[in-house]
Amino acid sequence: MNVLKQLRAVTLMGLRNIPSRLGASLVVVICMACVVGVVISILSMSTGFMRTVHNTGRSDRAIVLSQGALFPFASSISRDNAMTIADAPGIKRTSDGKPIVSADAMAFVAVSKKSDGLDAFVLLRGIGPQGFALKPEIKLIGGRMFKAAAHELIVGKSAQAEFEGFAVGNKVALPDGDWTVTGSFESNGSAQESEMIADSATLLSAMRTNAYKSMSVMLDSPASFDAFKTALTSNPMLAVDVSRETDFFARQSKPLNDFLTLTAYVVGGIMGLGAMFGALNTMYSAVSARTVEIATLRAIGFGAGAVVSSVFAEALLLAFVGSLIGAALAWFAFNGNLHAVGGLVFTLAVTPSLIALGIAFACALGFVGGLFPAIRAARLPVATALRAT
Amino acid sequence: MAKYIPLVWAGLWRKPARTIFTFCSIAVAFVLFGIMSGVDAGFAHILEVSRADRLFTDPRFGAPMPISFGERIARVPGVTAVAPRWGMVTYYRDPKNGMGVIGTDERFYATRPELSISKQQLETLRHTRTGAAVGVFLAKKYGWKVGDKVPLQSNTVTREGSRAWTFDIVAIVEDVDNPGLEGRFVANYEYLDEERVANKGMADRFILRIDQPNRAAQISREIDKLFANSASPTRTQSEKSQRESGVQAIGDVSFFTKSVIGAVLFMLLVLTGNTMMQSVRERIPEFAVLKTLGFSDKGVLGLVLAESVVLCALAALLGLTVAKAAIPLLQASFPDLPKFIDMPWAAILTGFGVALLVAFASGLVPALRVKRLNVVDALAGR
Repeated sequence: MNVLKQLRAVTLMGLRNIPSRLGASLVVVICMACVVGVVISILSMSTGFMRTVHNTGRSDRAIVLSQGALFPFASSISRDNAMTIADAPGIKRTSDGKPIVSADAMAFVAVSKKSDGLDAFVLLRGIGPQGFALKPEIKLIGGRMFKAAAHELIVGKSAQAEFEGFAVGNKVALPDGDWTVTGSFESNGSAQESEMIADSATLLSAMRTNAYKSMSVMLDSPASFDAFKTALTSNPMLAVDVSRETDFFARQSKPLNDFLTLTAYVVGGIMGLGAMFGALNTMYSAVSARTVEIATLRAIGFGAGAVVSSVFAEALLLAFVGSLIGAALAWFAFNGNLHAVGGLVFTLAVTPSLIALGIAFACALGFVGGLFPAIRAARLPVATALRAT
Repeated sequence: MAKYIPLVWAGLWRKPARTIFTFCSIAVAFVLFGIMSGVDAGFAHILEVSRADRLFTDPRFGAPMPISFGERIARVPGVTAVAPRWGMVTYYRDPKNGMGVIGTDERFYATRPELSISKQQLETLRHTRTGAAVGVFLAKKYGWKVGDKVPLQSNTVTREGSRAWTFDIVAIVEDVDNPGLEGRFVANYEYLDEERVANKGMADRFILRIDQPNRAAQISREIDKLFANSASPTRTQSEKSQRESGVQAIGDVSFFTKSVIGAVLFMLLVLTGNTMMQSVRERIPEFAVLKTLGFSDKGVLGLVLAESVVLCALAALLGLTVAKAAIPLLQASFPDLPKFIDMPWAAILTGFGVALLVAFASGLVPALRVKRLNVVDALAGR
């Protein structure tokens, strides 16, 4: 008999026998479902968060902060400096020759979350006249655009969904009195959707300050970044740090992402270890329940390889089914849920690659759980095993 | 009772592999249970030591506030101490060693009585312009002693156009609420303000204490009203409510820990339940023999439950011990956070309670089966 045929026959035989050992087999399925469900749920947070971050940055945009400022709010850029920066080489211009840049003013507004009433801070970003040319991904989806000279603003759809008091027509308490929400916008799922936007000049005068917080520019092409950066950093009048937007947001998001990933791996690792022992238990008992069957197969000429593979197949199948259940549970419970960390709102995402990771993890645990029992099955001394009843 | 212990023990070791694997699963699950309840307790501790009689006046929209606000805040009835603060971002030697320098004055310690600093040290701090009082955690991490000169790199430019700031350590401070974890670097506001070029005369926060915690909301409103129409409106909150929002901002910690604990316990129940079922099923004839020898129905029921309890309790003991030992290591890997994992003895007791519950829940069905066992049928193999 050829080896493949043997493999097939013994494996199917083992699998068909699972119902007779249903209780023990369910243990593996349930354990794997728990482990994979928990791991995927935690990782769905970091996946959703990173997706939002990824949608926010573009490699052909750069952000300028004052030297040493780790985040925009700690930065300060004077009007003179903003003009110098706008004249730097490498910046894309509109058809009528204006540089596509925006010097941003910022204010934070304390709001309460709709879900639990707790505080969060939402950023109001004042953008320059070319702000929408700089960020073409911003699209008005409700109401109308703000008027530059008036105390008006538009609000991102995530902020509107997550926090109280952002309906179109509402007043928001801001420097220099109440500002009216005139519209809402979406922005390709970027972090911008957790913010509000208004005119920078109006916001600066309302805050009675002269300095912008950060400056964003659109580059001719991603390749012009170096020329742009060199021009700014070699200018003795400026003390600024220049970053490509993609790098900037990757740096900003690293601590939270690292924390979430670490949590998922620690929790998943510990639970996985527990589940692995469960799988070992089940597979050993499966082998011992099939002792006579396995010995008979060996006696009539089936190879050790076929027996080993049938044990593996069983362990992997149980782990696979469990991981699918776990992934499905995580998907139903969390996929698409809004989640806010501080003022940043993002959507939890159970992606195919996350599910694949979960399945791979469960299968790896199943593999280890099947390994030693499979070796024992292959080594069963045929004569003694046949006598065991 | 004691004479049955060998019987229970022998029952457990009938199939050593199965018992060992189950034991390991339970132990591992209790490691996670311990860590998760530790995280829960840690966050509870953060809220517990945060005070309702300490208020923070922050800029409402992010623009810094003039230092003169402090005097007006101090005149609000009920306020007993006010300290201005300016936070400066710095690092020591390597940008990886980031730390915040707090520019304030001796009133800071009146608003934070949990920090231990002597009158004499306060006096020295006042007279040393470049003086700094550092937390025990920082002092230990960088090996600083009183009298050391510490150069820090900052994003704040000095009058000389430099970014290097030098401080003289005059005191090492402990926080009685979080022993060993105090990590503040407190310097003189005057020194920072004289040396810097931007934001002169500004504070980014006022820390205040009030005489009656239950008046926190009212006093906060009064303070915010004072500055509502100024160039920098304020927002005053108690430390307690701020921490509550802050803990929530990380995500719903207790929902997270409870979900994980739920999943782990469910897994555990399935695992142990299966082991007990299997073990009892294999030993039906043996239990029938025991009954024939005169063991009562309740006696055999007790034997099965005792096996389950011994298995779960021993494994839980190991798991919780490992968790208790691992927690300081975990805490140490996040040195910037306050005491966010904390495993009180109460959590260990809870863990044991849970272990007993799991033991009874998973042992009950097989135990009842043995109790109802019909000796004749069982011995006949029916």
